[in-house]
Amino acid sequence: MMTHRFEVIPSLCIGCRTCELACAFTHTKNQKPGRSRIYPIAYAPDKYVPVACLQCDDPACVKSCLFDALKRNETTGAVELNADRCVKCMACVAACPFGCALVDDGHDEIVKCDLCGGNPACAQFCPTKALVYKRIA
Amino acid sequence: MSVLRREGIDVPVLCHHEAIEPCGSCRLCTVEITKDGWGGWKRHVTSCLYPAEEGLVVVTHSPELIEIRRNILDLYLARCPQSEVIQKMAEEYGLYKTSYETIPDGDNCIMCYACTRICEVLGKSAISAVMRGHKKVIAPPFGEQPPDCIGCLSCAHICPTDVIAWKDDDGCRTIWNKPFELISCSRCGKKTITREFADYLIGKRNLPRDYFTVCDDCKRQDLALKMGALVDRAKEVAI
Repeated sequence: MMTHRFEVIPSLCIGCRTCELACAFTHTKNQKPGRSRIYPIAYAPDKYVPVACLQCDDPACVKSCLFDALKRNETTGAVELNADRCVKCMACVAACPFGCALVDDGHDEIVKCDLCGGNPACAQFCPTKALVYKRIA
Repeated sequence: MSVLRREGIDVPVLCHHEAIEPCGSCRLCTVEITKDGWGGWKRHVTSCLYPAEEGLVVVTHSPELIEIRRNILDLYLARCPQSEVIQKMAEEYGLYKTSYETIPDGDNCIMCYACTRICEVLGKSAISAVMRGHKKVIAPPFGEQPPDCIGCLSCAHICPTDVIAWKDDDGCRTIWNKPFELISCSRCGKKTITREFADYLIGKRNLPRDYFTVCDDCKRQDLALKMGALVDRAKEVAI
């Protein structure tokens, strides 16, 4: 049962990229920060949209994975990648219509936003509250 | 094996991967089992294949088991002298040099069948073991370019000893001597997956073809533009 929702409010984003840092350091492995799962992208001068996985209802990444490595976590509502089942075939990276399944070259693995298992670090660190993890029920 | 992993107990293994069914070919995950009613009898089994049950007593590291693993690694070291994974594992068990004669032109393959099994899961089975005995190798049918291979690199990535050679060169991927054309992003030209793999996914999982024409970077940019347009429109309406 989903109790929270991750909300992105682009009009509040100032493109400071604190979310990127928070994400990369949260996903540190072997003393090496991971690739950020969230990117504030400028769509016009000084106007930003923080782009992260949309956790689609009918996700193309889950459909494209031939090894069932991607699965929805019913408690958080996030589509999570089981790295143990992943063989890095890049099907999800190519299939995601929003380009939100990413390749982490440093750790040689595929990564995507999993909402940090129910407490996204980016939302905690966002100084303007453009990213919020809101209680819905 | 899954129970041991869940409990954080380390057992060495080469041939195991969550995406494929266990087959117990590398023998390194051998453990000692016994049970109350067995009257002191013990068995050595591969932990990947043996189902866990209530009351089973499992020993993962004992002098006897370490000796068994040392012997297995000794043989692997003779077969795959160049493999770093095997060397590292052998060093952990105090083996720096094999006591057997090494194969001079060995290819580092340990015959674990992870590649053929993953190809089977994928639904292609493009490669398999050919020949018998010491001549046995993993190869495409008749040693030719495998007709069913779609160039997804699953076999190369799953291989514990990184034997399967492949290369991406100027938009062309070669694996098992078969050349594949990589899809170029229609905007920035970044190379994604092979055309054959995309076609296979489109057919098998009913995905729209236009998902595969653009690379992930350009798709993120698109999403930002679309969301930005919505934000601007919402602002106009509010004013």
